Amino acid sequence: MLLEVKNLDAGYGYLQILRGVSLNIDEGEYVGIVGPNGAGKSTTMKAIAGLIAPMGGSIAFNGEDITGLSASQITKKGISFVSEEMNLFVNMSVQENLYMGAYIIKDKKVRNERLDFVFSLFPRLVERKAQLAGTMSGGERKMLAIGRGMMSDPKLLIVDEPSFGLAPQLVSHVFESIDALKSNGVTILLVEQNVTKTLAVTDRGYILENGKVGLQGKSSDLAANPHVKKVFLGV
Amino acid sequence: MITILVAVVASIVSGPYLLVNTIITGGMLALVATGLTLMLGVLNIAMFAHGEFFMIGSLTAYYVFTPISNYINENPDSFLVVIGPLIAIACAAVIGAISGIVAEKLVFGPLRKRATDNWVMNSFLLTVGLSVLLINLHQLLFGADFKGIVGYWSGMPISIADVFISRDRAMAFVIAAVVVAIFWFFMTYTSTGMAIRAVSQDITGAQIVGIDIEKIVLLTISLACALSAVAGGSLLFMYPSYPTVGLEPLYLAWFVVILSGLGNILGAVAGAFMVALLKAVTVEYIGAGWDFVVPSFLIMFVLIFKPSGIFGSDVRGALDK
Repeated sequence: MLLEVKNLDAGYGYLQILRGVSLNIDEGEYVGIVGPNGAGKSTTMKAIAGLIAPMGGSIAFNGEDITGLSASQITKKGISFVSEEMNLFVNMSVQENLYMGAYIIKDKKVRNERLDFVFSLFPRLVERKAQLAGTMSGGERKMLAIGRGMMSDPKLLIVDEPSFGLAPQLVSHVFESIDALKSNGVTILLVEQNVTKTLAVTDRGYILENGKVGLQGKSSDLAANPHVKKVFLGV
Repeated sequence: MITILVAVVASIVSGPYLLVNTIITGGMLALVATGLTLMLGVLNIAMFAHGEFFMIGSLTAYYVFTPISNYINENPDSFLVVIGPLIAIACAAVIGAISGIVAEKLVFGPLRKRATDNWVMNSFLLTVGLSVLLINLHQLLFGADFKGIVGYWSGMPISIADVFISRDRAMAFVIAAVVVAIFWFFMTYTSTGMAIRAVSQDITGAQIVGIDIEKIVLLTISLACALSAVAGGSLLFMYPSYPTVGLEPLYLAWFVVILSGLGNILGAVAGAFMVALLKAVTVEYIGAGWDFVVPSFLIMFVLIFKPSGIFGSDVRGALDK
């Protein structure tokens, strides 16, 4: 098992949001977490990525306990997090942003190989190499964020709300690029509000409600589940 | 552009020595101001104790250079005649960096762990306190008298285009230019320099890509303080070390930072020369007492019409929450 989260409690300050979330991901899987606003999807991701400290429970990655490590240590273990807000370095060029994505790789040759790989995934970024990240369109920035996440050659890529704030056309494009990563053998954890789309592309899914895992199973089964249909799809 | 124009006109009218003064003060001011910019951009600290690191630099240079200069007087052919001043300035940089680290460990680090909100205000008050503390510590330990030297490099002044520039002044400019150039290269091309910029632009993003924030914070504060100490050390021949020697460079550096925009390193260098020129021209044409008044006026206008500064961008501080 690549990632194993057990009974995770987390929140902000005195406000607890997650109450005993458990989930696991095997190597090479494409797993989706869906749920309504405020269910705790992003909180789960931030806790796994180390941006907030868990209040209880444990997180193990590759058989190693990573609970409570700092975000930079977790990145060094091989988890790459593409946040909802993207957190790009807006006054740096596209190329500099990508280089920073490979900050934990000290070997220059490997860095350049990763850069070539990311450029082959997103040819669009090659054209924009020298442009400042802050001046690009929303879709391009999303691509850059995902590309930066891939620069460190992660074992697990966590993508938080890739469709957030994008036009529908661009959403399909971003999903396509995540699909391309999947076919490159990357393990992906996708977090989305767009339930239909997520359950259509992922292998397995978790449904988060009120800080707990409500349902889990194969994505196709979840999509057919009457409860899911009623609550999320409105059918 | 306007700066260059004013510089040319002024140097034609009242002689090139004005230009020389501008360049030397500008170069040194650039060092102090880039340090200040770094502190503001990366750590989000409005640093009002930066002048005291200038003072620490000049004090260190004084105590290192005095025995060297005694030795030089006895052995005028020693290699120390050339290298000695550089050793003193290098020592100033090292001590400046160390005192920066001490300040972070004792003062800013504990505040960062405990402060939940209002970081900007609290850290600003802390720097003012640190400034008062260091000034009085200097007075207590070393006395309030002027601790100066006659000069770093002896010998005939260098003559460029009919202007005689003392060797100390020429070297001060060379040091400032070299340090700013190295610093710029470091920030632009090395991955550590990029990491510093990354932290100043988006701290969460920096954590995500695996940058160790604490290390960068420590590096930044030591770099910023070292830059200020280098300026203090190199200008020892002009400004002898005394408890409040750092206040003037501090105010001028704040003029520069406000004028050029917060968190813009290259802008700070350009701004430093603008302020230095303004000061030199004011002293020349209006009178020495006005040299703080005119830049202050300019800053008021800049804040009214372009609050982000002349070269300003919307860079947010690291700990802006």
